[in-house]
Amino acid sequence: MFGYVLPSQSRLGECERERFRAVYCGLCHTLRERYGFAASLLLNYDFTLLAILLSSGDEEPCTVRRCAVHPCRGCRAQKSTPALEAAADRTVILSWWQLRDHIADHGFWSGLKYRFASLFLRGAYRRAGERLPRFDAAVRLHLQALAALEDARCASIDMAAEPFAALMADAAADLTDEKRRRILGQLLYQLGRWIYLVDAADDLKKDTESGNYNPLLYRYHTENGVLGDADRLALAETLDASIARMASAYALYDYGVWTPILDSIFYESLYGIGKAVLDGTYCRRTRTRYGERKKKSNEEAL
Amino acid sequence: MNDPYKVLNVSPSASDEEVKKAYRDLARKYHPDNYHDNPLADLAQEKMKEINEAYEQIQKQRRAGSGYGAPRQSYYGTTSNGYSSADPTMQQIRLAIARGDISQAERLLNSVSDHNAEWNFLMGNVCYRRGWLDEAKRYFETACRMDPENPEYRQALAAFNNRGYRPQGYQTVSTSCGNDACSNWCLAALCCNLLGGGGYFCLPCMF
Repeated sequence: MFGYVLPSQSRLGECERERFRAVYCGLCHTLRERYGFAASLLLNYDFTLLAILLSSGDEEPCTVRRCAVHPCRGCRAQKSTPALEAAADRTVILSWWQLRDHIADHGFWSGLKYRFASLFLRGAYRRAGERLPRFDAAVRLHLQALAALEDARCASIDMAAEPFAALMADAAADLTDEKRRRILGQLLYQLGRWIYLVDAADDLKKDTESGNYNPLLYRYHTENGVLGDADRLALAETLDASIARMASAYALYDYGVWTPILDSIFYESLYGIGKAVLDGTYCRRTRTRYGERKKKSNEEAL
Repeated sequence: MNDPYKVLNVSPSASDEEVKKAYRDLARKYHPDNYHDNPLADLAQEKMKEINEAYEQIQKQRRAGSGYGAPRQSYYGTTSNGYSSADPTMQQIRLAIARGDISQAERLLNSVSDHNAEWNFLMGNVCYRRGWLDEAKRYFETACRMDPENPEYRQALAAFNNRGYRPQGYQTVSTSCGNDACSNWCLAALCCNLLGGGGYFCLPCMF
């Protein structure tokens, strides 16, 4: 479900891209140092955004570090900060529960890869759970609520999105600055709602075929897993409304050096990603590209 | 009070025009219309007050320096809605919403059996504050259908078309029509995404 949010590259100068890369690599290193190699594979852009949102707006020191992906040249990575550590703890807990959810949703054979992954992550999850017991309990409760709504085949997209949105908002519940907590809580709630709905739109075809629950199937009229034009517009509008809410919350806090990156996310790239998912180009393009590459490498092997 | 130039994010040597432009942009950003029925409206109001005061202070300083000009009012004030209800229960619900006591408002709404236009409007309001934007819109639409002439309901529905503030150069895109700038991210996102596509065995970095 995670992994949709990315700043729009065309907006950012080299310096800003470098900064984003540094926080991305910094989170990866923090995950590995705190939770081991398996946890560093949980890294994705949504958690990088979380790390940025939890950061102070000051310039953080960076170092060049080597890793499995950059063994020779190394990469510029932000040094571990309390914000990166907080984001790493939340990454492990959220991913763990997501994984358990996948195991519950899949049969024995199709869920095998998730079981395999959870085997490697159990230790990391235990440590993260000890660090953030309240967040861990809250996420568990929200996911139980989500499972209940799925069983009831809930037809309201807002009610279905509520548990996921609320668990994202809980990621800011520990902040001591009350104003910041309110702002970030609102922002993350709408971000969670947006991610949930975009993910539902992305999976619409797959869920139609497999019979899995998808709120869009009950809220809108679909034919063979495709939304009609009017319904697609309605979904696009409700996604826009979420982004506008995020932007209005974002505007109330000063994010310092992160402002250009966050501007490009909340004022532009989320719209582009939502559009690509609704048009079906987000997934298909990836798959064709991947297929083409695979085909090409097969041909080369022959 | 903070340095007024810092509040408006301009240098003290900026021309009057530049100061005005910066002020207008910020006023557009924190305008009450962008925070209509938003749970963070009070924080936006605070910001608005701060930039109004900063702008007035700069004007005052500059007038004192140059010695001309009459005192001027700031451009944007805050608005408050003066709507109220004849029905005592509905009025009670409105007060609960205004207090921010959403669960109390919802309890009261659920105890009302007559689902008239105002009930739908207030239910929409409760959903809107909670961030349930699709439900909110549907209730507002129902309220407008039942009482098409009511300006309050129409205003609430119109708030959905308000795309909010965007800095210059960002105005054009939306989810239904915008530039599909996604092409170069997708593959990277797939690789990094354990839970979306079982990419656990791919390497996690695109960079």
